[in-house]
Amino acid sequence: MYPIVDHEVLAPRVHRLRVQAPVVAEKAKPGQFVILIIDEKGERVPFTISDWDRDAGTVDFVFIEVGKTTQQLATLQPGDRLLSFIGPLGRAAEVDRYGHVVTVLSGYGIAATVPIIRALKEHGNTVTTIVQAPDKERLFGVHPLEELSDDLILALGTKGDGMMESTTVAIRKLLDAHPKKPVDRVIAMCSLCLMRVLSEMTRPLGIKTMVHLTPVMVDGTGMCGACRLSVGGTNRFACVHGPEFDGHEVDGWEVLMARRCTYADESILQQGFQCRGCSQW
Amino acid sequence: MTEAKEPKASPKKPKLNLNRVEMPKQSEHERRHNFDEVALGYTWELAKEEASRCIQCKKRNCQQGCPVNIDIPDFIAALQREEIEEASRILKRKTSLPGVCGRVCPQELQCEQACTLNKKGAPIAIGRLERFIADWERTQGAPTMPEMAPSTGKKVAVVGSGPSGLTVASDLAILGHQVVLFEALHVAGGVLMYGIPEFRLPKEIVQREVQYVQALGVDLRLNTVIGINYSLDELLNTDYDAVYLAPGAGLPKFMRVPGENLNMVYSANEFLTRTNLMKAYLYPEYATPIKMGKRVAVIGGGNVAMDAARCAVRLGAQEVYVIYRRTRAEMPARLEEIENAEEEGIQFHFLCNPTGFLSDGRNNVAAMELIRMQLTEPDESGRRRPVPIPGSEYIMDVDTVVVSLGTSPNPLIPSTTPDLEVTRWGTVVIDERGRTSKARVWAGGDIVSGGATVISAMGEGRIAAAAMHEYLTNGQKKIIPPTPAKDED
Ligand SMILES: Cc1cc2nc3c(=O)[nH]c(=O)nc-3n(C[C@H](O)[C@H](O)[C@H](O)COP(=O)(O)OP(=O)(O)OC[C@H]3O[C@@H](n4cnc5c(N)ncnc54)[C@H](O)[C@@H]3O)c2cc1C
Ligand SMILES: Cc1cc2nc3c(=O)[nH]c(=O)nc-3n(C[C@H](O)[C@H](O)[C@H](O)COP(=O)(O)OP(=O)(O)OC[C@H]3O[C@@H](n4cnc5c(N)ncnc54)[C@H](O)[C@@H]3O)c2cc1C
Ligand code: SF4
Ligand code: FES
Repeated sequence: MYPIVDHEVLAPRVHRLRVQAPVVAEKAKPGQFVILIIDEKGERVPFTISDWDRDAGTVDFVFIEVGKTTQQLATLQPGDRLLSFIGPLGRAAEVDRYGHVVTVLSGYGIAATVPIIRALKEHGNTVTTIVQAPDKERLFGVHPLEELSDDLILALGTKGDGMMESTTVAIRKLLDAHPKKPVDRVIAMCSLCLMRVLSEMTRPLGIKTMVHLTPVMVDGTGMCGACRLSVGGTNRFACVHGPEFDGHEVDGWEVLMARRCTYADESILQQGFQCRGCSQW
Repeated sequence: MTEAKEPKASPKKPKLNLNRVEMPKQSEHERRHNFDEVALGYTWELAKEEASRCIQCKKRNCQQGCPVNIDIPDFIAALQREEIEEASRILKRKTSLPGVCGRVCPQELQCEQACTLNKKGAPIAIGRLERFIADWERTQGAPTMPEMAPSTGKKVAVVGSGPSGLTVASDLAILGHQVVLFEALHVAGGVLMYGIPEFRLPKEIVQREVQYVQALGVDLRLNTVIGINYSLDELLNTDYDAVYLAPGAGLPKFMRVPGENLNMVYSANEFLTRTNLMKAYLYPEYATPIKMGKRVAVIGGGNVAMDAARCAVRLGAQEVYVIYRRTRAEMPARLEEIENAEEEGIQFHFLCNPTGFLSDGRNNVAAMELIRMQLTEPDESGRRRPVPIPGSEYIMDVDTVVVSLGTSPNPLIPSTTPDLEVTRWGTVVIDERGRTSKARVWAGGDIVSGGATVISAMGEGRIAAAAMHEYLTNGQKKIIPPTPAKDED
């Protein structure tokens, strides 16, 4: 059993949990994830590791309430225990010295990308971070991003509060300045739709764009194939070969989105994947 | 030889009883709607009657047909003498999982095929008797604990808690070694838990075996993936004197045809894991859902395909098709399960093979394209290969597909252990006693065979455990009788 040692509400329906799991903390790297099960009747559900403390043996993740498991998680308090907490799963995000890196974040990605950005800074990169949120109220986790990033752009979805800027407009501006003010790499952990759009925007410019893909998973160790997707013409398992992939090599985004929404509400399906039920907004 | 209780064998040849005693089953109609066990098992009366048919052959054909050399005539003789406990003891000398083997072994290819009475078409129902004994033992309270050897001070890691890992863990624990059993999933049992459905193998039986192994002092560490949490080298360089690898062959194979990633195309592993391990058939009481359409196609002809098809029936599919590229005669599934599937209304389509899947326009599968196949004349090995008939493509409407073409070893451990020799199929190379190319590491089960049976996974474990014990005690005499045993009698 894996005790919860801390629970913080970051914004309405957004929570951070800290779990005692020394074996996971021991090997955690930026961009990796865990799969947890709350109790005997629970589902195996993946969450990206947003922080860890090897000495204390704790692992953090941030989640958004979207359905059964996440709503149940939201009720847990320090002292409660999780039945299962497996990780760190997947490959770590690629981090090297690239130059100027633009990160694009939304939903839980706002928190889960922090370890990647930290590593990018340790490798001497300049980092511009674009954060997308539906409105000011649901914005969270800005402080660490402000500290780590050289430049932070807030793209809030609601008009009229002075800070509004659409994510794609913000990126367009950065890309228009390229290559005079070069963008050497883009890293995105946001909605599937936005990651796809981003990949198409950077493709003609040849700017490597890494996307963090989150198909539905079951085991998370390469056993079930639920998370398969086609990358560069070959089948890949996001839980083993990902979750980070080169966005220009991902083929079949539509299939990926359809699969991701297998268990979403039918009404969401009919809205043409507007990502309403999506934990990444 | 076992001594017969009768004073003198009668001079006349006894008349052979060729009436194999049937095992009661849930009716077809009933069982289509539940996940309860299909076969209900013998009563004591039925078991006695079946056991009485055994003619106690001197040649012990049945025993030779058993991959772990169970003393079959002896346990049947014990049943004939109405000594069930003794029968159980005899069984347990060679198998640690009788309740499992009695249910899932392909006896028709093993002991029952070899049985003398098979020549007359009515082999003794050895599997059903084995199952009866195991089930009887379960009703007798806690299992009797074996005598434990004093601690050797040696520590062993076993990777994977399927039948092979469970066997090695218990054998080595009994021999006095400290055993840690690592399991990636949140429950132990391997395929017995995540693959084989409840209606064929109740999970409670598997968990009882797991508890028994724990009661022997084995330290079970769930949620721990070797190759991620600890590499094999870390295990060897830290606490452990030896390692047994039994991570099975869990990597699902796909066909690599167009449209295979469409929504509602499942691998059998995903379909069965959701259904069995996560209990999706009890959704929403259990949180894991499984989405299923009305017309389900299961591709493949093995046990896995039968299990998937029969789960689909129980999950409420209106029509379930099994698509197999050869004919019924070549199906690798157990005969009993093919018959069960037929009785449950599953429709078999032989001599055809999918060439692609078509979308409904929103990336859900709506149909599949198939091509008809024919079998070639037998080649040197006597095998008839299926080949496509050109121009014979046709379309079949389906809204759910379960690809069930087998599995291959998960590359996780080999890829994180450069000096572990594997074949080009990814299976781990071992010698005849289970030793790998890497010092202090043994392996067995599906990771070695690429996918076989519960009993062979167990048997390989037995052999390796004996070899490991020898190594750990520096060539001391082995204590457990390992498999090929001419040591009894
Ligand atoms: C590698 C990976 C990392 C993730 N990291 C985070 C994270 O850090 N924070 C966060 O809030 N969410 C994360 N997610 C998404 C998260 O797993 C889902 O939001 C969660 O499963 C929803 O479960 P639910 O029962 O609350 O909702 P449900 O009602 O079950 O589902 C809502 C939606 O969540 C998705 N989903 C459901 N089950 C799964 C599953 N088993 N695997 C993947 N997606 C599923 C589906 O798109 C579904 O439509 C991640 C997903 C993946 C694959
Ligand atoms: C659906 C289905 C039906 C079958 N039906 C029959 C049948 O009727 N009769 C029969 O005889 N055989 C049957 N088989 C085959 C039989 O189940 C297998 O041959 C047998 O289970 C193999 O045992 P094993 O111990 O080698 O591996 P497994 O049973 O596969 O167990 C391996 C275990 O290791 C764990 N593991 C894997 N990697 C790691 C890691 N890196 N770290 C830690 N743990 C790890 C896995 O999670 C798993 O629990 C069936 C198989 C399937 C899939
Ligand atoms: S071969 Fe058949 S009849 Fe002969 S001893 Fe074995 S089970 Fe009995
Ligand atoms: S989640 Fe099962 S293979 Fe990736």
